[in-house]
Amino acid sequence: MKINRYMKIIGRKILLLAGSVFILSLLVFYISRLSPGDPLVSYYGDRAEKMSPQEQEWARDRLGLNDPIHVQYIRWLQNAFRGDFGISYKYKMDVTAVIGGRILNTLLLGGIGFLLIFVLALLLGILCAWHEDKILDRVICKIGTVTSCIPEFWLSLVLILIFAVSLRWFPSSGAYAVGKENNPADRVRHLVLPLTVVVMSHLWYYAYMIRNKLLVEVRADYVLLARMKGLRKSQVMFRHCLPNILPGYFSIMAVSVPHVLGGTYIVETVFSYPGIGTLTYESARYQDYNLLMLLSLITGITVIVCNMLAQAVSERIDPRIRVDDEGAYGEVEEL
Amino acid sequence: MRDGFEIVGIRRTEQYPASGSQSRRQGKPLVSALLLCFIAAGCLACKWMTAKDPSYLNLQYHSMPPNREFIFGTDTMGRDIFSMIWYGGRISLFIGLVSTLLTTFLAVIVGAISGCASGKVDAVIMRGVDILLSVPELLLVLLLQAVFGRPNVFSITLVIGITGWMRMSRVIRTEVRQIRNSEYVTAARCMGGGFFHVLWHHLVPNFISSVMFMVVMSIRSAIVAESTLSFMGIGLPVEVISWGSMLSLAEQALSGRAWWMILIPGLFLVVTLVCLTNLGNHLQRHVNRRHSNL
Amino acid sequence: MSELLEVRNLSVSFDTPAGEIQAVRDVSFCVRAGEVLAVVGETGCGKSVLCKSILRLLPEIARIKKGQILLNGVDITGYREQDMCRLRGRFFAMVFQNPMTVLNPSMSVWAQIAEAVKVYGRNMSREEVEQRVIQLLDLVGLEDLKKRRQQYPYHLSGGMQQRCVMAIALAAEPKLLFADEPTTALDVTIQAQILDLIKEVQARLHTATVFVTHDLSVAAKAADRVAVMYAGKIVEIGTTEEIFQDSRHPYTWGLMRALPAFARGRDSLYSIPGMPPALIDPPKGDAFACRNEYALAIDYEKQPPMFQVTDTHFAATWLLDERAEGLGIRAPVFRMEEEDCQEEQKSPEAAAKVLLDVQHLTHVFPISSGKTLTAVDDVSFQIRRGEIFGLIGESGSGKSTVARCIMNVYRPAGGHILYQGIDICDSREFRAHKKMLQSTRQMIFQDCDGSLNRRMKVCDIIAEPMRLQHVKPPRGTYRAEAAFQMQHVGLAAAYLDQYPCALSGGQRQRVAIARALSMEPALLVADEPIASLDVSMQAQIVNLFRHLQKEQGFSFLFIAHDLAMVEFLCDRVGVMYQGRLVETGSVKEIFHHPVHPYTQKLVASMPLPACCTGWDERRQNR
Repeated sequence: MKINRYMKIIGRKILLLAGSVFILSLLVFYISRLSPGDPLVSYYGDRAEKMSPQEQEWARDRLGLNDPIHVQYIRWLQNAFRGDFGISYKYKMDVTAVIGGRILNTLLLGGIGFLLIFVLALLLGILCAWHEDKILDRVICKIGTVTSCIPEFWLSLVLILIFAVSLRWFPSSGAYAVGKENNPADRVRHLVLPLTVVVMSHLWYYAYMIRNKLLVEVRADYVLLARMKGLRKSQVMFRHCLPNILPGYFSIMAVSVPHVLGGTYIVETVFSYPGIGTLTYESARYQDYNLLMLLSLITGITVIVCNMLAQAVSERIDPRIRVDDEGAYGEVEEL
Repeated sequence: MRDGFEIVGIRRTEQYPASGSQSRRQGKPLVSALLLCFIAAGCLACKWMTAKDPSYLNLQYHSMPPNREFIFGTDTMGRDIFSMIWYGGRISLFIGLVSTLLTTFLAVIVGAISGCASGKVDAVIMRGVDILLSVPELLLVLLLQAVFGRPNVFSITLVIGITGWMRMSRVIRTEVRQIRNSEYVTAARCMGGGFFHVLWHHLVPNFISSVMFMVVMSIRSAIVAESTLSFMGIGLPVEVISWGSMLSLAEQALSGRAWWMILIPGLFLVVTLVCLTNLGNHLQRHVNRRHSNL
Repeated sequence: MSELLEVRNLSVSFDTPAGEIQAVRDVSFCVRAGEVLAVVGETGCGKSVLCKSILRLLPEIARIKKGQILLNGVDITGYREQDMCRLRGRFFAMVFQNPMTVLNPSMSVWAQIAEAVKVYGRNMSREEVEQRVIQLLDLVGLEDLKKRRQQYPYHLSGGMQQRCVMAIALAAEPKLLFADEPTTALDVTIQAQILDLIKEVQARLHTATVFVTHDLSVAAKAADRVAVMYAGKIVEIGTTEEIFQDSRHPYTWGLMRALPAFARGRDSLYSIPGMPPALIDPPKGDAFACRNEYALAIDYEKQPPMFQVTDTHFAATWLLDERAEGLGIRAPVFRMEEEDCQEEQKSPEAAAKVLLDVQHLTHVFPISSGKTLTAVDDVSFQIRRGEIFGLIGESGSGKSTVARCIMNVYRPAGGHILYQGIDICDSREFRAHKKMLQSTRQMIFQDCDGSLNRRMKVCDIIAEPMRLQHVKPPRGTYRAEAAFQMQHVGLAAAYLDQYPCALSGGQRQRVAIARALSMEPALLVADEPIASLDVSMQAQIVNLFRHLQKEQGFSFLFIAHDLAMVEFLCDRVGVMYQGRLVETGSVKEIFHHPVHPYTQKLVASMPLPACCTGWDERRQNR
């Protein structure tokens, strides 16, 4: 009985996912093809400008760019089902291969960054809430507000200026030095600066959210009852207040996975870090259609799956969610 | 007289409301407001701030560190950074303000419709907003930029305006819902208040304060978005001076160790953003001022 | 009897930006083992703060300015937080006013009780804890919960939640239990149950109890001794007998006279005039002087000391000074008026024309996923011209929905509502008579805080209906009209340019009344207009209603859950229970010969007559 119900729910979710992905692919396909700019440039580079009109026509034909858009789309869809997402115009390789070579780098940067943000925000938020309105809290809040105002790219520049150019402690670009692909220490050295930027630019947003949520909880009447039982203040905080905000935090963090990823895109570009971000940016700029399609789909699927996860998490953990339907996407408090 | 032991009864001492008893705990952000005013005024009066033409390429004096002639130095193309700051600030602030106008307009419309609509319509709209909200902004901007083609000030403003309204519309929707369900609106309807009466006398005055906060925050994020885009080379081109496009030369600056080209425009940017944030936080209503039970 | 708790000259202050609020001022009292002390007073007089300061549960801005708290003779005033933790729960525990918010919403009730047990007995094994929880559930009458351990607070009704809080408070068998208005937030019928439970538990465990309440009749039912608090001070303290038979302080007299039971057959409820003083800057002399009709000149100059009446009875009033003896001021005589004096009754009015005729009204709310909730089920009643019709029932019984259907806020799912013969449920007829309907029917809401727009000035609020209906103000300007209406409902014209947040609850409700009456309505619908007010404010507002209704003669639908007020104010009463109107009739019929079992239960649970009768019973028992 129960398993059957779960299967049904999962089935429905998968259907939803497939539908969303389909719509997304359609949208991206049309929008990208509507945009001006010549994909031939990205395929042939400068040579494209020197080609004669006949040659250009022939090249377009070869790439299938002359057919009506819906024909192109259907062809793309058919191929995609067979696992063939086309070749990248710029890299002249299978797009899966292009992405496969880089996705790990992004996962490393984004994943570690995300985990760090998750944990540090929690700690910082609790610290601030515990010392509410005391000096420590005020100082952290002020610093946090300022750091959260600094645009990611500028922070990256300043860090490069200080730690890479002046002090020469860390490299300023890339994911590894030439010839040291498999040297973990070198990878870490390359990760330090980008990671700092990713964490610093997002951290306060979430820490402040935790702080505010905790401050609301701490004002709830149930704290009085808990203290009346004879629990110590710290016990009340960690056994009552914290568990009450965690489901909301989990779901918000799940929703923000793409957000953090989006942040890494910028950081990747500044640090010329070979990841998905730089790739997306390039592909959109140079009309590398097939690459852009797959990247958008990957992003889209991440977004949707994370959203579903968020909902599932909050439904599982928080018994109240079934009563009030507002909680699943609780307002993310602005700074 | 028996030492005051006679009945005098009730002496009326009318108690008047203590006005303004709830003083704001945080002081007004005077410093932020002043700084912001100063920067804005400087940008507006850029013509009088400096005698130099910011777009004049003086290749003779390129990449000069700050000195008496060029207070903030010159960039790699020999332009005077001091005058670029003010001229560029004008564009940056302009983009921030105008795209916020657009954002607010869109957000109010979507938020108000969703807030006033029935449950189903509301759910559909909000789901849509959720989806848009979770797409990385950069991707959205990239796609839109591709549609608009070669970027200029207006297309950038448009793109930023179109991509930034979702969060605000959510807040407005919640606010509208709350006010709509409040008893004073019910009371006004009972008395025969029509839609426009309710809108003008009840809805607008009540949600304006939270919208103001969102508006200020949206100016902030619009400025950030513009500078990020310009920096990455998908926003304003180098010739159009803004705080973002000034920083797009950073790569050359880094290799030349020209710290002034990075730090000075960036500092202006960050100071503006911090001031805006402080102002916004001040505007936000402090709803819960109960005391901690812990 | 040994003294379990002794409080000596305790003063507690809150340091706020607006100034120092002296919430508790120089309070001394003691509680002996096994006794019940009731602390009585209006809201804001410092009762709760007193209890919480003893348990040290106040926020950080509160501080004990001076005085001592002794437990079994040990001074705990200087104890640090960790020492207090050891005392809380074990030595003293507390039951709070609002069980809905006091339980952690995302923790199962079982776990919350078990947590309390574990704090007490750290080394208890799992089974022992379980045994103890079951024992506690038995004690507070929650046998149902033993099997269903995954019950969260929102699964339970208010009464059951309060029982859970009791179980938690009693987990470590404290010697002293503070009960802070434990019944106020509950429905009438549940109130009596919880009160009985506390008495029962008290009798069984011999826990000394400090019972905080604003309701003298509850105190009379439950307490051995009573302390009356006003403006942060204890003004009178004595055994229940002494307080009720021989009270000495004018404030106690005022509280007793304000009991609706004493108002039967009278024109108006007695209410202590004015409002309690703000404690930021308490008045120089006796804080009660400016509301006291027996105030002496010295009251405005010097604070009275505690005078001893008997060994157990003390009161702080200059009236007890020997110099005041010659004045001959005695406590007013409290006695219940004979029931029959109201007999003249409204036979001529019975024939008056029907103004509002509700026929088979049904309203259904959709709740999630296709389910519906029938809030109002086949309700029919009539209101005649110039009649006050009371609608009573517990929360969630559909009273407000009926009111909102009558006001065309909700569109009923079935049935008809005829107002002056017009079917207002029919949209065509409604539109044809829209203007008349909107100006002759007015509504007053429960939450005066929510029903006034915070960003409108008082004069604009009052003039809003006139502006909307384009009524030409009879007194020239809208402002003059608003001023006139305010004076009419007893508000000073100085408030004209204030915003609602500067007004107290009672004043806000007066503004709402002025707004409704400015249109001179034929039908006034008031949805729990007094529920969110203080007791003394309630009396003032009800008096105002009575007075205005006599003067203007409008028909009045008065919705309340406070039976005493309904009995005092209304001509006829309808009783609602779970969406149905189970009984209608004249006030006398309903309150003296209830037919429906629910009405019987309701009337029986009325705490009011019990003030006197309950007191008599107790005396007989001794």
